[in-house]
Amino acid sequence: MKNFLIIFLAFFSSLAWAQNTTIANGEKLVYSASYNMSGLMTDIAQVTMETSEVKTSKNTLMRLKCSAATYSKMDNFFKIRDLYESYVHPKTLTPYLYKRDISEGGYYKFMQYTYDHKSNLVKSLKRKKKNNGEIWDENKSIKISTNTKDIVSTLYHIRNLDIDKANVGDQQNFIVLFDNKETIVTVQLIGKETLSTKIGNKLCYKLALSIKGSDVLKGNNANLLWLTADANKTPVYAKFKIPVGNGELKLISASGLKN
Amino acid sequence: MKKVFIVLGFVSALLAVVLAVTPLSNLAIAPIIVAFLCGLIVVLISKRDKKKTKTIQYIFLLIIISLSLTIYKNLFSTAELGDTEQLEQRAEENLEDSKDILEDIEIDDDF
Repeated sequence: MKNFLIIFLAFFSSLAWAQNTTIANGEKLVYSASYNMSGLMTDIAQVTMETSEVKTSKNTLMRLKCSAATYSKMDNFFKIRDLYESYVHPKTLTPYLYKRDISEGGYYKFMQYTYDHKSNLVKSLKRKKKNNGEIWDENKSIKISTNTKDIVSTLYHIRNLDIDKANVGDQQNFIVLFDNKETIVTVQLIGKETLSTKIGNKLCYKLALSIKGSDVLKGNNANLLWLTADANKTPVYAKFKIPVGNGELKLISASGLKN
Repeated sequence: MKKVFIVLGFVSALLAVVLAVTPLSNLAIAPIIVAFLCGLIVVLISKRDKKKTKTIQYIFLLIIISLSLTIYKNLFSTAELGDTEQLEQRAEENLEDSKDILEDIEIDDDF
């Protein structure tokens, strides 16, 4: 039954992996992340999502880079300098290399996935810092499903979906590899809303996100993402609810959009 | 009973001042409300008993200080990004390393 489910999900997902018509090289989206403190939203960090072209001797790929850095006032309290990267095929957004390099209040972790799509394998490298400062590596080979992707490329894949063809209530599952484990993320179209954003008043698709079998995201329809209902499907606003509170992400600036 | 509210109000007001000074000044709102309510109850009890308590003044003074600090910080402090030099350096190093890894990867247009 489990295998059938995975095959069904993979087939269903493959129908949606259309050609990239949404994301261009040189796109830069900047967000301000806020956290609810005593009922007041407090700006804590800046999140940047960038795309660029990466050339090797044989191929040209697209680099999807997401970085998060806390504002200076928060640095003394809890300094975050996170970097998430995915190197994808520019036409299909299929990931080939993923890197997660995080530094959060003295905690350091590095994860690297090298995809082998022919054999559905991922070579995983985990690098951590011990308390004595010593760095240790852990290498693993993980069997993945056909359409398993990392968190960064999944985000961009969601943007590349033909949401305009979906009806309210429609949902789709994505298999995301995170911390060497495959997780099913469900995205559901809740409706359309007009939001006032830094790039003007925009009609947006309102999507609800949930993770199967995980407590990371809390509440029913409490984790929401608004994408502009145009050809760019720019994420303009996000609301999240986690076990230690809730917060939001607001778009500050957008440049280099494809359409 | 009155003493309980005085102690609770005073502790909350002190906590509010401490939090208002830190970057997490918005967290001071909750203890400010607690301290204010305790102060108000103490005032009412004092009026009923027709006794004057000097501590109420201190509680309200601390409330005013912490509330002023919180409002000032919310109105005038702008969110500035901290030092990202190290992050940019890591991103650059990762890019160079990624290029080396991607050289050995076979990219298939079918996937």
